[in-house]
Formats: sequence, structure tokens, C-alpha cells
Amino acid sequence: MSLHRSTKGLRKGQPVPTVTIDGKKVEVEKDATILDAAKKAGIWIPTLCYHQAVSSDASCRLCMVELDRGEWRQLVTACNYPVRRDIVVHASSERAQQARRGVMELLLARAPESKELKALAERMGVMQTHYPTVTESQRNCILCGLCVRVCEQIIGQAAIGFAGRGVDRTIAAPFRQPSEDCIGCGACAAICPVGTIKVRIHQDKHEIEISPFKSRAKLLVCQECGEPIVSTQVSEQLLRKSKIDWEEFRERLRFCPKCRKSQSAARLGAATVYKKQ
Amino acid sequence: MTLLSHRRLSNFMDLERMRQELLSLRVVLTKSIHVCTGPGCAAKGSEKLYELFCEAVENADADVEVQAKGVGCHGLCEYGPIVIVQPGEIFYQRVEEPDVPEIFRETILRGRVVDRLLYEDPATGKKAKKAEEIPFYKVQQRIALAYNGLIDPTKITEYIAQGGYSALAKVLSSMTPDEVISEVEVAGLRGRGGGGFPTARKWRSCREAKGSPKYVICNGDEGDPGAFMDRAIMEGNPHSVIEGMLIGAYAIGSEQGYIYVRNEYPLSVERLRGAIEQAKELGLLGESILGSSFSFDIRINRGGGAFVCGESTALMASLEGRPGEPRSKYVHTVESGLWEKPTNLNNVETWANVPHIINRGGKWFAGTGTEKSKGTKVFSLVGKIRNTGLVEVPMGITLRRIVDEIGGGMRDGKRFKAVQTGGPSGGCIPAEHLDACVDFDELTKLGSMMGSGGMIVMDEDTCMVNVARYFTEFLQKESCGKCTTCREGLAQMLYILDRITKGEGEVGDVEELGNLAELLEGTALCALGKTAANPVMSTIRYFRDEYDAHILDRRCPAKECRGLFRYEIDPEACKGCGICLKNCPEDAIAGERKAPHVINQEKCTLCGTCWEKCPFTAVLKV
Repeated sequence: MSLHRSTKGLRKGQPVPTVTIDGKKVEVEKDATILDAAKKAGIWIPTLCYHQAVSSDASCRLCMVELDRGEWRQLVTACNYPVRRDIVVHASSERAQQARRGVMELLLARAPESKELKALAERMGVMQTHYPTVTESQRNCILCGLCVRVCEQIIGQAAIGFAGRGVDRTIAAPFRQPSEDCIGCGACAAICPVGTIKVRIHQDKHEIEISPFKSRAKLLVCQECGEPIVSTQVSEQLLRKSKIDWEEFRERLRFCPKCRKSQSAARLGAATVYKKQ
Repeated sequence: MTLLSHRRLSNFMDLERMRQELLSLRVVLTKSIHVCTGPGCAAKGSEKLYELFCEAVENADADVEVQAKGVGCHGLCEYGPIVIVQPGEIFYQRVEEPDVPEIFRETILRGRVVDRLLYEDPATGKKAKKAEEIPFYKVQQRIALAYNGLIDPTKITEYIAQGGYSALAKVLSSMTPDEVISEVEVAGLRGRGGGGFPTARKWRSCREAKGSPKYVICNGDEGDPGAFMDRAIMEGNPHSVIEGMLIGAYAIGSEQGYIYVRNEYPLSVERLRGAIEQAKELGLLGESILGSSFSFDIRINRGGGAFVCGESTALMASLEGRPGEPRSKYVHTVESGLWEKPTNLNNVETWANVPHIINRGGKWFAGTGTEKSKGTKVFSLVGKIRNTGLVEVPMGITLRRIVDEIGGGMRDGKRFKAVQTGGPSGGCIPAEHLDACVDFDELTKLGSMMGSGGMIVMDEDTCMVNVARYFTEFLQKESCGKCTTCREGLAQMLYILDRITKGEGEVGDVEELGNLAELLEGTALCALGKTAANPVMSTIRYFRDEYDAHILDRRCPAKECRGLFRYEIDPEACKGCGICLKNCPEDAIAGERKAPHVINQEKCTLCGTCWEKCPFTAVLKV
């Protein structure tokens, strides 16, 4: 209902809505989020399932702020609440903080071993949880789904997804088997905010494993030093996607960054030497 | 049967002509047998009854003009199978197969009433010949269920004969979309699915929303345990839903509709499918309806059984073929819903009310009900009352009248304890608030809600902590698990409630439940999570003493929670028959024959076998 009134909030000659957050006024583009406004205002709001590279899911519920509707206040998630008219937001109000702390305590009970989660909790002033661990379908996973979204939206593989429902929800490849679609890029591990997803290198087999999904991919080994570089599929996809049909580029992909660097240095050195002569 | 040979109706006059023809035909057939084939009666074998009546009709002499038809739910399921014979609207209850020849011979052929099959008032012993003489029906007022029990839902002609699709004709021939929305606004119709959002406002927002195509959806994913309101409408009068959707689509400017039905309702799917086909044959669905420029089509989608798919955004995700998980509604579905197009979703009952509002006017509809809740509401009345079944009552009626007059009071002379309204996320309303009336806002104030219309009556033997635990468990199992608060918070609540009902509760548990409830209400993503604490909070609000008894005294006052009461044998009542002794799996009962037996409390595992087996109710819960 608010959305239809929304445009009325924009006064003439003022095409951008303003967000008053904890008393600070900032202008944002239409349909920007409260989180965008908070960043602009220099106000920190904790997030877990949010990442600027992928779409917002608002599933972790950590970024709760209070939206002031005049007569009443409503808790909303900052990461996906679209600003469509002038609004007033309280990010540091007692109710907002209490809500965020409550959510954090529930998450800590679920994933008590995550150092990253603990660090974030401490930054929020939550030193410990008073809840027992009653759900743990996947060790230390808070089910934020960033890995699922990055794999689908950025990598384009959709190798992992949610399986099960409710407390039995887990993140897995189809049939909870190692994925055939996983290219071993490790984006899921990089984006995981609680350090649950890890990349393991099996030197002996020249394989990369994405834990806990048990997906493995063959590694491309540096032709010079024998160190692993990336998975073969990643390098293939990189070539396909970048559409660079340049023999030297393809050639250089067969060396690890370190060797590539020393090769470049050597070539550069040779060139310089030639010039001097 | 000229017009009945299903030719396409090419204008509004055709529809009326067809109706007149059908009516004139009906005059010949004054005798008819209506067999209820609603879910309750069907479970008791009414379909076989229907077949037997059909056979009897076929085998009757040529000069006997009579028809047998299977009709939708009558409501008084407790007394099913129900058979109504015309003329005279003679109401037969608990009809069994051997009764068929007798009813046919006596009532149809000889015009006599079979006395023993009539409804007998348990209080006065007075027999009722017609439905309206029965208190269960007397208090009701039927709009959405008006034709349930009257028409054969598999035949569009029956619906048309009753005036069906005349509202559509009226809308297409003489009303602008704005006028339609205004009429619904005057009626004050609010969403019957639970939220109670003003229907006209939703329609208008969707009409005004930018983007095309626009979609209308009928939510038939009725998932509340023990609820069957929408099912009764879809199975008893599917055309009323279709007509409502047609009118809504015209008002909104939509050409495509979807009915989302749960797969557990195969008969609903079948009836709706048949109804859509018949409506298409007559040109009441499809391209240029009734010769107008309005086109509309309906598709049926079957749900996969998740309770959360009754939530509008989860339903739309499911319709799109994605997992049924809700999303934030900061951008409303009327603006961006199904496939990110403007989408208007209403519940089955809401749609079924629309044709009546158009035909009889918004003012007429608004004449019933309270200031902010107009019209009627269908409830499925279940629990420890005498008359369970499907009821439609005017808004504003008190809960007491529903329980006492329609429900016929408590069963087995037990004392009333609470009535649970609003489905699993509703609340329990205690005896002191029984005079509260059925009204969206009033029920919310009491910590419960209207919901889609489940109503469970509980007696003194029901432990309220256990009720809260049951509903919390249901919701925890049905939580999709997307958002932290619902997934983790409900699991924490259930963990605490489990402990309390096992006698392991601690001081502070109730306060902790309160904290979790507040967290859920404030931070859960969808309505399932936001309202999930209602059963717990309403029972804490009205039955705090029961929580305290469990926690502080390790005692269950209703004697339902195992381990929080003991079994003892009343020496006065015990005849020493030895049945309990023989059946006790733990050999915990001792006693000589014909002398009072005694339970050894140390050996007793509280399994309750003796309590169940004792023919003299000498085993007591203490």
C-alpha cells in the first residue's frame, strides 16, 4: 500500500528520495536500499547473507532496522527494503539492536564454531548465546545461501542449491552427491561469510576439492614449477567467456602467476638489455 | 433439451434464455434426492448411497419422475451421510445403504417421512424434518455456501438454473471495471484467507499497477489441520469460484487466471477442471466471453503439499516452478507478483462471495456483519463439540453461539476450556472471552486471528501447553527454513515446550518463550513466521497457571502430558475383573480376583493401557 503513496513523497524538483537514518540525512537513487543509504551515511549495519555481487535474499534477518512510519514503527531488513520516497530509519534504536542481537544469538547457537561469526557477533556486542544448539543439519552453516547465489548468478553453474526444508535444510549438490557441474572455482568458499565452505588441494592427485560438498575438479599444473594453478574447467571457462583468441594468452594460462611474473620479468629484462646495447 | 445441448452462449440474452429453459424443465422434476458427497459424508460411504439411489431411480416405473444427484457438503458432517429429499426438503441423517430402498419407497413413492432417519435434538428429543429446524442450521447464514447441497457441482446447468453466471453477465453488460471495484468496496469484503485485507483496495492497486499481462490467482492451498472450508466450496460449487475470478479479472484487467489447489484435494481438482471445461464450452471462459470483448482463461496448478505455499509469494514461486519459499513483500504482489507482473491473489471463499455481491449489491452484503468485518465467514468447526462440521455464520456472531448453538455444546458433558481459531498460527480463546464476536480485528485483539476459518473447540481434558507444543511442532515442520528466525527460533521454542511437557521445564522458560515470540513477530520473513508464536503466546496469556503447574509442580492439570500425572485404581469402582492386570505390559498391577487392584507406582511406565482397557472406568488419572 505504501508504494502507491510513494511517489507523492517526492517533492517537485527533487527527483531523489532522502533517507534520514539515525538523524543523518542522505540522498539515494530511487529503489536503492536502506543499506545503501546507511553506507552513504557511514552507519554500519551488520549483514551476513548480503553481498553486492548477487541479489538480496533477506534470509539471515541480521540487518534489521526500524522504519519509522509516523504512527508506528516496523522492523524491516535494510538489505532489500527499497527506498521509494523520503523515509526515516532508526538503525541504532534499542528495538533494532535487540532484534539484531536476537537473530545473532540464534545463529551462534546454530554455528558455534565459526570464528568469523563470533567476530561479527562481538562487533555487535554479542559475547555469547544463551541458546543451546538444537539444529545442525550442516556443520557451522548458517544457510545464508550466498554460495548458492554466487554459483548461479555469477559463475553460471548452479552446481549447489538448497536441499531439504526447515531445520533439515542444507546446501548440497543434487542428491547430496559430489556435483558434476562444479568447476572447482571456489567462489562459494570465497563468499561464505562464516568460513564453512573450504577449498582443499589434493597435491597427490592434482585435484581441487570443495568442502563440504565433496565436489572435485582436476587441477591445471604450472608447466614450469609444477604448482597447481586453477582447475582445468575454470581455465577453459575463462577462455570461453573472455573470448580472447590469442595464442600467447592461452599459452600463458599454463603457468602459475608466480612463474608468469618471472617470465615477464625475464622478457622485460631481455628487452631492456637489448635496448642498452 | 434444445439449449442444454451445450451450445456456445453468444450474448447475455442467451444465458437468461437458457436459465428460463432450465427452470421450466425443473418444474417437471419436482422430486429429487440430494445425496451429500462432501468429504465427511463421502468418508462414510455416501458415494455408494448415491449409486444406489441412481439405480433405484433407473429401476423405478416410467411414470415416476425423480432424479438423484450428488451434491456438495451440507455442513453437518457429524451426522453424515446426509440425504435430502424434495419436495419438502426432508432431511435424513446417518443414512446407510439398507435405508435406500426404504427412503425411496416411503418418501419418493408414497410421500411419507421415514421417522427414524430424522435428526433428533439431543437436548429436547424433538425431531426435525427440515434442515432449517435444526439449531445447527438455524443460526447460520449462507452466502459462499448458498448453493452447496442444492446443486450438482458436476453440472454447469444446475448452477445456471440457480442464477449462476448472471453476475458475470451483469458486469459485462452494464458495469465498468471501476464500478465493479466500487461495488466490492461498498460491500466491505475482506480477504477470507487469513489476512483480512480489503479486497477492493487490492483489486484497485492491481488495476492501477503498471505492467502487463496481469494475473489473478485463486488460493486453494488450504493447509490448516482440520480445515476444509475451501475444499467444500471447490468441490460443492466450483462455478462460484470461477465466476468470482471472472468478475475480478474483468475489474483488474487480466486475461489469465490460475487456481492453485493442493494436490491432496484430487476431487477439488477434478471438479474445477470439469467446471472450467463446461464453462469454456458455453463460452463463459475463453475468448470474447458472452460475445463481449472480454477474454479470460483459467489454469489449474496443483501444489506439492507444503503449508507455506498458502503464503502468497511462496505460492507464486511455486506456480513459477521454483521451490515454494516466500520473499519479502516490500514490493507488493499487486505490483510485482507472478513472473514479476501485477498479480491479484484471493482466497477461494473470497472469490465465491463476489458473484453474490454483484447480484445483490454491495449494500446488501454490508448489511451483515460488524463495522469493519462484513458478510459471513465459513468455519470448519471441529473438536470436542457435539456437532462438528462446516458452518457459515454472519460476522459479529459471538463465539459462544457458534460453540453452544451451532456446535450443540460440549461432548460427553465436559467443560469448555478454549476455542482455537485461525489455524496453526491462530490463538486459543478461553471461556471468559466466549462473548467476543467473530470479527477480524476483535479476534486479533484477543491474541488470535480470523485465519482462513479453522475452529477447534477444546475441553477440560486438553492440556494447553501441549496444544501450544503441537502447533509449534506443526509450524516448525512446515517452516521452509529460508529465514533464520523462523527456522532457528521455532526450533528453540519447540525445544523449550518439549522440555516443559516432559516435566523438565525451568523457571524462566515462559519468559524465554516470550522473548522468542517477540523476535519471531518482529524479524521473521513471512506471515508464517511472524504469527507462529500466536499459539504459544495466547496460551501463556490465558493459561499461565498451566505452564506454572508443569514447570513448578511437575504436574499436568489436564492430565495429558505423560509423566506429569499418575494412574491409580479407585478401590470403590474396581470390580477386580483382572483386565488391567492381564494387559499391563510391565506387570505393575497386583490384586486378587474380585478384589480391588493396585498399581505399583515404581514399576508403572505410565503407558495408559490400564486406563484404556478398564471397563468400569476405575483407573483414574491423578
